[in-house]
Order: sequence, then C-alpha cells, then structure tokens
Amino acid sequence: MNRPSPLLTITGVAKAYGSVVALEAVDMTVRHHEIHALLGANGAGKSTLVRILAGVHPADRGTLVVAGKTANFRTPVEAMRGGIATVFQDPALIRDLTIAQNLRLSQTNPDTFAQWLDEFDLGSLDRDRMVRNLPLDILRLVDLARALALNPKILLLDEITAALTADQAEKLFELLDRLKSDGCSVVLITHRLAEVMRICDTATILRDGRNVAELEVGGITQQELVHAMLGSPVDLAPDTPAGIATPTTADAEAVFAVEELASGETVRQVSFAVRRGEVLGLVALEGQGQERVFDILCGERRPSSGRILIDGSPCRFLSPADAVRQGVVLIPGDRLQALLPSLPVYQNLVVTLITRIRQWLGLPADERARAANAIDSLSIDTRAAAQVRRLSGGNQQKVAIGRWLVSGFRTLLCFDPTRGIDIQTKGEIYALLRKLAADGAAVLLYTSELAEIPLVCDRVLVMHNGLIVDEQVAARATEASLLTAAHGLV
Amino acid sequence: MNRDSRATVVFNRTGLILSRSGWTLGVWLLLLALLIWYANLIPRFGEFQITSISKNSLPLVYLALGQAVIVIAGGIDLSLGALLLLSNAIAARFMADQPLGAVVVIALLLIGLIACLNGMTGYVIRLSGVPDIVVTLATSYIWSGLALWILPSPGGGTAPEFRWLFTGSESGIGGTYVLPVLMMIIPATVVFLLSRRTRLGLSMYAVGSDSNIASLAGLGVTRAKVASYALGGALAALAGLATVAITGTGDPRFSVGANATLNSVAAVVLGGIALTGGTGLVLGVVAAGMILIMLNPILSAMGINPNNAQILQGVLIAIVMMIGGLAALIRERQT
Repeated sequence: MNRPSPLLTITGVAKAYGSVVALEAVDMTVRHHEIHALLGANGAGKSTLVRILAGVHPADRGTLVVAGKTANFRTPVEAMRGGIATVFQDPALIRDLTIAQNLRLSQTNPDTFAQWLDEFDLGSLDRDRMVRNLPLDILRLVDLARALALNPKILLLDEITAALTADQAEKLFELLDRLKSDGCSVVLITHRLAEVMRICDTATILRDGRNVAELEVGGITQQELVHAMLGSPVDLAPDTPAGIATPTTADAEAVFAVEELASGETVRQVSFAVRRGEVLGLVALEGQGQERVFDILCGERRPSSGRILIDGSPCRFLSPADAVRQGVVLIPGDRLQALLPSLPVYQNLVVTLITRIRQWLGLPADERARAANAIDSLSIDTRAAAQVRRLSGGNQQKVAIGRWLVSGFRTLLCFDPTRGIDIQTKGEIYALLRKLAADGAAVLLYTSELAEIPLVCDRVLVMHNGLIVDEQVAARATEASLLTAAHGLV
Repeated sequence: MNRDSRATVVFNRTGLILSRSGWTLGVWLLLLALLIWYANLIPRFGEFQITSISKNSLPLVYLALGQAVIVIAGGIDLSLGALLLLSNAIAARFMADQPLGAVVVIALLLIGLIACLNGMTGYVIRLSGVPDIVVTLATSYIWSGLALWILPSPGGGTAPEFRWLFTGSESGIGGTYVLPVLMMIIPATVVFLLSRRTRLGLSMYAVGSDSNIASLAGLGVTRAKVASYALGGALAALAGLATVAITGTGDPRFSVGANATLNSVAAVVLGGIALTGGTGLVLGVVAAGMILIMLNPILSAMGINPNNAQILQGVLIAIVMMIGGLAALIRERQT
C-alpha cells in the first residue's frame, strides 16, 4: 500500500518551565485527511504541546516536521506561515479593539473571514462591535473563522466546544468533516469524550508529559479511552452516590433560598431553595441568565427585584465580601478569577482569614494547621506551590475550593467548577461536593456538563430565557431530558 | 441592502463613534467652556491671548501626546520630561548664533537622536522585563544629568526664524496665532492618524490591551513597544525644541523636567487614556494639555494666589475623573 508521508511529525519534544517538567518526550503523528484528538488528564502536557505547535514557546528538545519540512517555530507568526493555525482556549482577540481592527491587525482577508463566519450564520455580525462587548461563544467562532482564513494545513483547536452551544458545536463538527475531505487536518483538544467518539479518527493520549497511546477511535469504547488516559480503570461515580440523599434531605430546612429574583431582561423570575445537606443542580444553555443569577447570589450585583433568604430570614449582600461574611461563598468557573495567581498555595488558602483584622499580625496555629490539612485532604499537587498560576487547572480549582474549607461557609455556590478539568480530578471534586453536603452545607451547582447532574446532585433545576422552567430528580435525569428542558421544550 | 437599512447603519456608526469618543468630546467642550469663561473674565480678549495660550501649550501638548502613545501601548515614561530638558539643552547650546539652515538640521537630527535613545529604553524594558516605571525613572536621571553636562547653566539661543515657526513672532512676543495653532494641529493629527489608522498604531493598542493575547494573535510585541517609546521620544524632543523657541534660551534645571513629566501624565489621564493601557484617543490629550496650561492665567485673572492654583488643578483633575467613573457606572447599570 502506498502510504503518503504524514502531515505533521513530532519526535521527542520536551519542555520544562523552570524546575517543573511539562513534557518529558512526546512523539505524535498527524496524517493527511485526519481529525486527531489530543487527550490527557489535566497536567498531562496538552496545553504545553499546543503552545509549542503554535510557536508560543519553543521546545527545549525534539523536532517538528510539517509537510516534510523541519520546523522550529519561534513566534506564532512563524507557525501560521508554516501552515498551523491555532484557536486557543481564550480567544486571541484584543478586547479594546473592534472586530474589524482585529482583522486588520492580523492581516486577515475580510471576505474569506466573512465566508467562514457565515458557516455559523454569523455573516451579518457587525464588524464595528468592540470585542469586549461580544459573548464568548461568538468570539470563539470569530477566532476560528480568522484561523480558517489563513487557509492552514493543520488546524489546532484547544477546547473549542467548551463555550459553544449545542447547535454551534453541531455546525462545527460538520465543518470539520468537510475540512478533512478538503485536505486540512485537525488536532482537537477536548475533555468531552463523546465528541472524540463522534468525529475523531485517531487519538493520541498524553500522560505525565509522555505519549502513552495512539488509538484508532473506530474500534474502541469511551471506557477504554478513559482507561488509557488514567492508566488505571476508574469509577466515575463518587463514593456516596447522589439520589440516595434525596429522601433524607426532602424535609430538611432550607438554608438558602431566593424568591422571585429578577434582574433586567436577563433574569425574569427565579425562585428556589437549597436545603441543608443538599446539592441542587442548575443547568442551562449558554446565556440564559445563569451568570447573572450567580453574580447576584454571590453579592457582585444587586437584583432589580426579589429577595434572598438565609435560614428563612431576608438578607442583602452589599458586596461579595459581605456575602462571604454571611456564609455564602462562590467557586467561579474561571479559577484565576478566584485566586491570587502569583502567590503561593498556602497564602491563597489563608487569604480569607487574613481579612479579619485581629489576624493581621499572624495566624493562630490551629488555622495554619487547617490550611495544611486542606492541602493534604484535597491532595493538591504542590510541585509548583510557589505560584498558583503555575499549577494545572484541576489543582487550581482544588485550591479555590480549599480556601473555603479553611475559612468555613454554609452555602457553596459553584459555577461550572469542573470546566476544563481532567476526569480524575472531576471525580475528586464530585466526591468533595457530596461530602460537604453530607456535613451540612447547602450546595448550588451550575454545570455545563449534563452528565454530571445524576452523579452529584439531588435535584436539578433547568433555566431557560431567564426563568426556571423545570425541576427534575437528579438520579432520574438524563442528558436527553435535561437538554429538552433547557431548550424550553417542557 | 435597501436605502433605509443603509441609513440606519450610517446612523448607528455615527452614534457608535460618538459614544466611544464621548470622553474626548467632553474634554474639548470643557476647553471651550474655559476659553469662553476666560474671554469674559479679562477686559480684552484677542489675537494676543490666543497666540499666547496656544504657544505656551505647545511643549506640554507634545509631551502629553508622547506620553499618551506610550501609555496606550501599556507603558509609562517618567523620563519624557528629562528628554525635553536634554533636547532643550542641546538645541540651545548648538543652535545659538547659527544660520537657519544649520538650526533646522540640528532640530531634525535632535528629533531622530532622542527617538533612538528612547526607542532603546523601550527595547531594554521589553528585553529585561523590568517594569517601565523603574527603567524610565533611572533613565530620567541619566538624561537630566546629561542635559546639565551639555548646558551647565541657563543660556544659549536659537535662530529668530526658528522662534517664529513655533511662536508666530521672531522675538517670541505677540505675533500671529496661525503658526502656533498649526504647529499644534499638524503633529496631533499625524500622531492620531498613526495611532488609529495604521497597523503599527493598532498593534500599540493591542499590546497595551493585553500583550499575551497580542503575541498569540501574531503581533510583534517588541516592535510595538519600541515604536511607542521612539515616538514618545521624538515628541519629547519636539517639546524641547518648542521650549527653546518660546523662551529663546535653554534651561537645564532638573525641576523643569520633573514637572513636565508629571504634567504629561496628568494630561494623559484627563485626556481619557486609561493608565492601564489599550484605550483612549490621543486627541483628548491635546485639549487636556491646553486646559492644564490655561488654568494658570484664568486663576490669576480671578485674583487667586498662584500657590493655591496647584490645589485647584488637583481638585479639577479629581472631579473630572470622578465624573468619568460615574458615567461608566451609569452605563453599566443600563445594560
């Protein structure tokens, strides 16, 4: 059989940031006409490999061969000229400029750009809009269209579906299929295995900075992919299965409740109560007002009408700090929003304690011990403990949760806490949420991954267009039933 | 697209531009209000006053334009005032008693030289990763020292025609207002077009907005940074030349440079450019620079002790900034 030479060959690529080794040695081959998944738990080295391929950081060792030519990208521009276009996890668009100005800066042909954008029915998007005023899903598509306008040989997509709605993702998959037959290969980094099973041909699996397997997706199951990523079979479900808790919490008192909450056009009417010991789920498609609800609940914003009740008595949050004082704490999806990125893990954990004046001179021994305990009990990987920004996403999220374990709380608000986190850490976070609930906390969990609901929650609310449109028992909720409700089809 | 929807697009676009340059417009209106007030405050307001306000504003306006470009690209330059001193000292020493031709050559060389010096400063900042404020604080002492070394005491001079170019009069007194106004409009327009209409200018905004994202988008971060500092240096050199043309001599005192630096930052802030970088239009800075210069004659016309003028200047900046904050808050509430 006449096999053409591969489009991209990576041999022995290694990279260390200071003393932290991100990639030991990675080999990977991408062929022509191929959608290639790059998989691995968080901290496995996917992001580093993307940065090397995109020319953001040079590799310490190893070679890249693109279409038969040895490449040594020192800048993103060189990688683009070499035929690799990348859509990063965060859109590479300047927030303070308009779309048109961004296109001019990157010397993108506006007509080609418009054609690609039209694939997602966005051809009429006003180019004079400021980037900072556009929602994330549109920006990712703009970034994608800009990458496609470069006419790349290889398209690198880092977690692109994370911010897309279901129908946008559907259009993307069709587009990728077409690109493949037109001769452009795609490298897809994702945590959603269903996507891999659906559109990818091959999967390269990274673990601890090495490639441990290359699999033909056709002949394997999701379980086998997970197995390859983790190196050992894992049980996704936490030790205390959800649902079992439901009968006991059904008549527990409501710790945290909202009544007829509204905010402009975004949130029209939202009422619910979270009981002691309960994990209440919330699901919605992108942009149905869930962000605004969480902004209000954590004290960042004030509602235009409605009440928040703690233990049945109405309360007001003057600021997030005020909400924290009243026992309501938030774990945001963007971990770096919650953390002080250049401070060490320990200081991030105790920072909420320092805000109390009597502790300005130093923390009592028992609180120092509690911080140390949190590091142990969350099994935070402290190799890069000197600066939180250098931890992997999963470990950062553990620090964000750990901080509240140290300072104490009654109601925990989680906004998509497992976004972009590897499957093993996800399992740990599920178990942790269940344990916190069992210890008497009330937990409200918004998640964009519907499969999480039956694993973690007792009840689940579905939000659509600023309203709560459905409530289901989590143990019986399926992705199909939740999606139907989330589209407002109840 | 039919006629109506095209009309709406044009209308929307005008609205968009207005809403985005609201601050710039506001600063110009404030300047206009002050001018009218001043005109009614003094017995005779005519060509002489216009000439005097516009020519006295020139050094600060140039310096503030330079600071604006650097701040937009995400930096801040504490050495601009010192570069003004250096340019002023070199010009006054070497232009004295020279024919016009030589003076013009010296002026052009000086602009090029100081642009290169400050471009190098920008390169060092980018290469070393040391914060802008630290590096330029250090260079500000170097340039001030150099200025004193070149011109140890106030003195020197320049060609009368050169004075006429900036002040409208060969003696620096009275004269036509056309020249100083033109000397303000031309550089300001050039810098404005450069910053908004060219790729280099947009990449300065991009780098100031987020240098990581700019580099991911494939922009030359170093180039933008060096260019912003070089342009800032060129404008500081121009400010030094304007000073020698207005005063007719060179003055190498350290305090002159330090004051000029602080005033340039004040004009940038008042002109609507966020010190965090990436936003604002340089046109607002021109009006802001003139406002700061006009405060002194206005306050003295009102019979206020010049020592108290500084307090009022500070209060004015604080009030204007608070109005800006309030406007932003109201806009956010509405969405």
